[in-house]
Amino acid sequence: MKINQVDMKTFCVIPAYNEEKNIFTTISQVLPRVDFLVIVDDCSRDQTYEQSCRILNSENISSELKNKLKILRHPINLGQGASLQTGNEYALKNEADIIIHFDADGQFLAEEIEKVINPIKQGKADIVFGSRFLDIKSEIPSFKKNIIMPLAKLFNLIFFGIKTSDPQSGFRAMTKEVTQKIKIENNRMAHCTEILAKAHKYKFRIAEVPITVVYKKFGQKFSGGFKIIKDLFFRKISG
Amino acid sequence: MIQQVIAILILIFFVFKLGREWKKKSITINEFIFWLIFWIIGIVVIAFIKPIDKLVMSLGFSSSGINLVFYVAVLILFYLIFRMRLRMVKMDKDITELSRKISLK
Repeated sequence: MKINQVDMKTFCVIPAYNEEKNIFTTISQVLPRVDFLVIVDDCSRDQTYEQSCRILNSENISSELKNKLKILRHPINLGQGASLQTGNEYALKNEADIIIHFDADGQFLAEEIEKVINPIKQGKADIVFGSRFLDIKSEIPSFKKNIIMPLAKLFNLIFFGIKTSDPQSGFRAMTKEVTQKIKIENNRMAHCTEILAKAHKYKFRIAEVPITVVYKKFGQKFSGGFKIIKDLFFRKISG
Repeated sequence: MIQQVIAILILIFFVFKLGREWKKKSITINEFIFWLIFWIIGIVVIAFIKPIDKLVMSLGFSSSGINLVFYVAVLILFYLIFRMRLRMVKMDKDITELSRKISLK
């Protein structure tokens, strides 16, 4: 039985690690825009978990909204990729139709969630990547824009044949079929490339939509890029 | 000759350390036996390096016995690191699965 595209149940997964300053705001902004929100606290050393739970005790938030929130916690720190996979598994168990990945640091705009899931709802794509480079609204640090990202794009093109405009986008949406097929195995930051590569490998319909990124900090550094390459290499040779 | 004595003393020190680990029960009997044999072979090779040199030459290798020992040691080390890496990846996977199960409970 085909689900009515409009009635698709949307789950948003937010991995959080040491985001005590941003998590409350991020949850408050995302929660009204999705059917269910899953926070995966990756064993933060700060008050991220407690701040997330604060929503459940907040009087300003309706009980209806509170019922849409699930806070999971890893007993040890595993990495962003592992947190996303934990969230994915929770979403699949709870009959999600669309799974959205969103960052906890407040760099993405919650109002753009609708824009990212639209190609899936319209039946035009199986997986949608938010891109910082299709629009000029994001003020990307110039070193990142002119050095790191072109190198990452080149790496993705040479080793995986990926041609997307944003090689490391963390804002994405996918159908449950895609989520079932793409099991994130790279626990840390290499998961962005892994998801892109697997989406290409399994020939899912891919779409990109422009998104705005508000940079509060630099994010992934140049050294982080080498770590990603190392993780991808060892994951490849260890099967 | 002095080099050989120093090398043997170092290996005897390793055997002594191995004995202490065994006494503290931080290694199993199989590990103890494996490393004991390993270091004893090392001591024997160094003690009889000249006859080994002759043997190596007679087998057609151009380098001396001690060089060959180093080449083989490096190869074994690479292999062991590779095996260790695979084990670590598997352990990493298992820990991830276990942590995930706990958090999804």
